[in-house]
Amino acid sequence: MTIAADPALAADARSERRFFLALSLPALLIVGLAAILPILWIIRQSFLTTGGEYTVGNYEKVLSSGLTWSALITTVDLSLGTLAFCILLGTPLALALASVRPRVANLLMAFVMLPLWTSILVRTYGWLVLLRRDGLINAALTGSGLTAEPLPLVYNFTGTLIGMVHYMLPLFLLPVYAAMRDIDANLVRASASMGATLGQVIRTVILPLSAGGIVSGSMIVFIYTIGFFITPAVLGGGKVNPLSIRIERTLSTFQDWGSASVLGILLLVLMALVGVMFLVARRLVARNKVGAAHA
Amino acid sequence: MSRLLRISLAAIAVSAAVPVYAQSVTITTAGGDYGNAMKEAMWAPAAKELGYDVREETQSDGLAALKMQVTAGAVTTDIIHLGSPEGAQAAAQSLLEPLDYKIIDPKSVPAGAKSDYCYPFDSYGTVMSWSTKTYGENPPKTWAEFWDVAKFPGRRALRANAQDLIEIALLSDGVAPADVYPTLSTPEGLARAIKRLEAIKPNVSVWWTSGAQSAQLLKDGEADLVVTWNGRAQTVKADGGSVDYTFKGSVIGTDCLGVPKGAPNKEAAMKLIAAMTQPARVAKLTDFIAYGPVNPAGYEGGLIPEDRLKTLATAPENAGTSVFSNADWWVKNGEAAQKAFDEMMSR
Repeated sequence: MTIAADPALAADARSERRFFLALSLPALLIVGLAAILPILWIIRQSFLTTGGEYTVGNYEKVLSSGLTWSALITTVDLSLGTLAFCILLGTPLALALASVRPRVANLLMAFVMLPLWTSILVRTYGWLVLLRRDGLINAALTGSGLTAEPLPLVYNFTGTLIGMVHYMLPLFLLPVYAAMRDIDANLVRASASMGATLGQVIRTVILPLSAGGIVSGSMIVFIYTIGFFITPAVLGGGKVNPLSIRIERTLSTFQDWGSASVLGILLLVLMALVGVMFLVARRLVARNKVGAAHA
Repeated sequence: MSRLLRISLAAIAVSAAVPVYAQSVTITTAGGDYGNAMKEAMWAPAAKELGYDVREETQSDGLAALKMQVTAGAVTTDIIHLGSPEGAQAAAQSLLEPLDYKIIDPKSVPAGAKSDYCYPFDSYGTVMSWSTKTYGENPPKTWAEFWDVAKFPGRRALRANAQDLIEIALLSDGVAPADVYPTLSTPEGLARAIKRLEAIKPNVSVWWTSGAQSAQLLKDGEADLVVTWNGRAQTVKADGGSVDYTFKGSVIGTDCLGVPKGAPNKEAAMKLIAAMTQPARVAKLTDFIAYGPVNPAGYEGGLIPEDRLKTLATAPENAGTSVFSNADWWVKNGEAAQKAFDEMMSR
């Protein structure tokens, strides 16, 4: 006899589902009010002229402008750059955290998490103090004779990237660390006992088993950074202009809400595309893992 | 004990419910040093005189905030501080109430500066400033020299906005101050200005977005040559920064006060504008920031100390080589100019 065939149990399951649905109502309401409604409003706004008449002119204007596409390229460049550095710096760090004793790992984790508790504005201005021409880093470089001239570390793409990587690294680290910590230590021991070098262990055991975490972390980094505004605005020196800054400028200098809304939708579409891409990637990774287990 | 509590609660309730009646007015300013200066010199004494209860809001982008409030039908501010080109733009988009020149003295504005919608009260110059550490006694003296990166090497900082910059670009290209707007009004003129900006772009280390940021760049020595507003340069210089500036070739603009369409306290707002812009008060503003009155009466009767006059953009000895920013030109051509500027920036 299956569960579904027992009417009493089925009724029980139904009322349980209803109960959980009721519990989530407040959250659904907030999401609906705070996220869905404004998005609908922006979609409506994107089809209106300044006079309030229906038009598709905003789309033509925005999509035919070279400014939109150069902003889009900057956005993707920044996100990809941040992602690359997060993977390069974050993966070894996660590996190190996962391999030390839990107590030490917790302590190190606290250091990693510390920046997350500081306001992004404070951190961004902090980088300005460090990176500017007579800042601490340049003073050290020129003072020690390593460089003759101060390096252009800020008010450009480099500075923006530094600020963004600093912000995103802890958020990348969390899922990767979680995935690596869950790897059965016996697998590592087994492969070592069969003569695998450290590099081979990392390549054939650890990385494949933590690929899911790396994909999740990458998705978080990419989706977050697509909308970054403060960091490029402060550290970019007016030369790094992603879509978020294009939106602000369209609103403040041109007072063109219609075009700004189109840009907002473009940003949303970009995020959705990237999200779908990562979800597909995660499914592929999961399938490979299952395949590996059966092989 | 509980009785005492009840009595005091009742007393609090009564005092909250029946306040001493005061007309309240909300003013929106740019905040910072400038906003404080306006408060100390202008609206706080005027509010005291009128018995108004004035609330201040600050916005770095007045026009965007104004448009938001008026379009959303939720106007909370009665007076808004704007740059005159933005004021003219706001008027063109019907975002402002007409000024009541029965309450505000029409003779307080020179004919050339008069506006029906946004009352011009002070003036500033967009000027060339430089680090005295870098250039010592021999700084660039003209915009042409500012553009001469071979003779004056150094890092430039310019505002990330076409306003004032395209005028300056033409001055640097040998256009006479009087010919700037006639030249800009031809399609080739705007292209010429943009081309000039593109030429200096590789030497611009920062394109700044707020006046405070431009002051910081000067102060920190991050940039050697900065195009900024005279009040900002003067403040850094007065604070002992190794900085100097010149009014030669400055672009003079005015700031103005407007009343948003549908403001809750329209009439009180007009009265406050009239009171806060009395000659003595706009003259007093220069105690705090080097932005001189538009009202000629502000310069009379020794209201402004003699030695301070030379720090004001509109002082006779400073105004000769200047260009007066033309708000009408900006209303008509602003969008095209900003777009051309943005395209230059993204190349």
